[in-house]
Amino acid sequence: MSPLRAFLSALFLFVIFTFQESAIARINFPIAGFSFYLAVLIALMALEESSGAVLMGFMGGIILDLAPSTGTPFGQWALVLTVMGYLIATNRESIGDFTSRAGAFVGFVSAVSALTLAGYLLTGTLLGENNGAVVHNMVVIAGNSLWTLLFAPLVLPALAKLRSLSLTSRERV
Amino acid sequence: MAGRGGNRSRLLLVILLVTSLFLITLDLRGVSLTKSSRSATQSFLAPIQKGVTSLFSPVGNFFSDVKNFGKTKAELAATKAENAKLKSQLILSADMKGQLTKLRGVLNLAGHGGYKVVSARVIGHGSASTFSQTLTIDAGTSDGISTDMTVLGATGIVGVVKETTASSSVVELMSDPNFKIGVRIAGTQSVGVVLGQGDSHFVLQLLDPSGTIKVGDVLVSLGSDGNKPFVAGVPVGRVSAVNTTGASLTQEADVLGFENLNDLGVVTVVVAPPAHDPRDALVPTPEPTVTVYVTAPAVPAVSPSPAVGASNAPTPVPTPSATSVKKKASK
Repeated sequence: MSPLRAFLSALFLFVIFTFQESAIARINFPIAGFSFYLAVLIALMALEESSGAVLMGFMGGIILDLAPSTGTPFGQWALVLTVMGYLIATNRESIGDFTSRAGAFVGFVSAVSALTLAGYLLTGTLLGENNGAVVHNMVVIAGNSLWTLLFAPLVLPALAKLRSLSLTSRERV
Repeated sequence: MAGRGGNRSRLLLVILLVTSLFLITLDLRGVSLTKSSRSATQSFLAPIQKGVTSLFSPVGNFFSDVKNFGKTKAELAATKAENAKLKSQLILSADMKGQLTKLRGVLNLAGHGGYKVVSARVIGHGSASTFSQTLTIDAGTSDGISTDMTVLGATGIVGVVKETTASSSVVELMSDPNFKIGVRIAGTQSVGVVLGQGDSHFVLQLLDPSGTIKVGDVLVSLGSDGNKPFVAGVPVGRVSAVNTTGASLTQEADVLGFENLNDLGVVTVVVAPPAHDPRDALVPTPEPTVTVYVTAPAVPAVSPSPAVGASNAPTPVPTPSATSVKKKASK
């Protein structure tokens, strides 16, 4: 991942983060909220090569740590998403190329979204955070995955196209 | 090549993990750099959130109106342009009316308690990416708001101010798992702590082992030292179930909050406490039930001939029961 593309990706993620915090957060979704930002970030990580996925996870995590509503320590999201980026990068070969199959890609983003939230909760517990009722947290994770599953098909094709436009000819090879 | 790429990504992973842990350590040690970065983000987001709020509020009502539009489509076609204009005005006025009703409610509660308050509009709800329960309001330090101030709704406590910028503040809702408030049971004066659970239910832990909790008991805030973060006497919730078992050391109960935390449009922030503790003055009283007794119209009874010496006796008022008795007796 070139420094320029890393910068552009961070900028793009910050725009998505602003949209999430100001617009998506205003909508009261049934069951639980929908993290559009997380869905976009996971999709971008899945499309990157290994170092790119790790770096994208870290950058995305730092941006998410900036959320004023986050009550957890600064850096917790960065930690969780860096690990998720690495896990995506190392396991992509064993899963196979799913990015060309729309259904598999959407399912993957939804599942990783749930895993990420669970990882975030687990890290919070290790850091001594009070995470509240377990059942409620399960509902939040399930609700977010459901909304990701429903909304991701609308976004992922455009996202993949946007990413391919940002690639340099060398990165394409 | 693959091995070299793998090594590179592993090295990058280690560097980034160490950086993340370093940031977490800094934050836990209270370094202001991490706190000020969130504060700066809030300052950046607040104007956008305000804009989106004013944009979303009429749009939300507009979509519900569109659902009924088809029913009178033919009728509306003739005056489409005029109606569209009127409709947008109606939507705006309905939106304003709703906000005014909420504002009246919150100001009533603050007025009864004698709290000096600043009212604010809710411009954002907590991110779905986190498990913390917060909302953002459009008033900040320039309006006299500082951290650890009590936030009220129309019927009770909403939360406490967690972070502030010049024009906005983040409020930790009472449903947040980290939220704790000292309460007393109105009436019995038993003292306890109400804990947020992440949803609309709360748990009351009674500190007084000899105290009793009953379903329906109203809880009011105990108040904090220097009235920060909580002022005294604000209704917190009502006991919905008592969970005390013989094995537990403290008595526990489920509590339902007075405020619907998912439907907050306007809130007030207590910037100065009342001169006197309002005690139980703000405890919501149940609406009085009007009971109407309907009795059959009285049939005038045949008055017996007055006996001698009984002229001063009061004339008996005929009642339906008395009448029926008389009729049965005559048969």
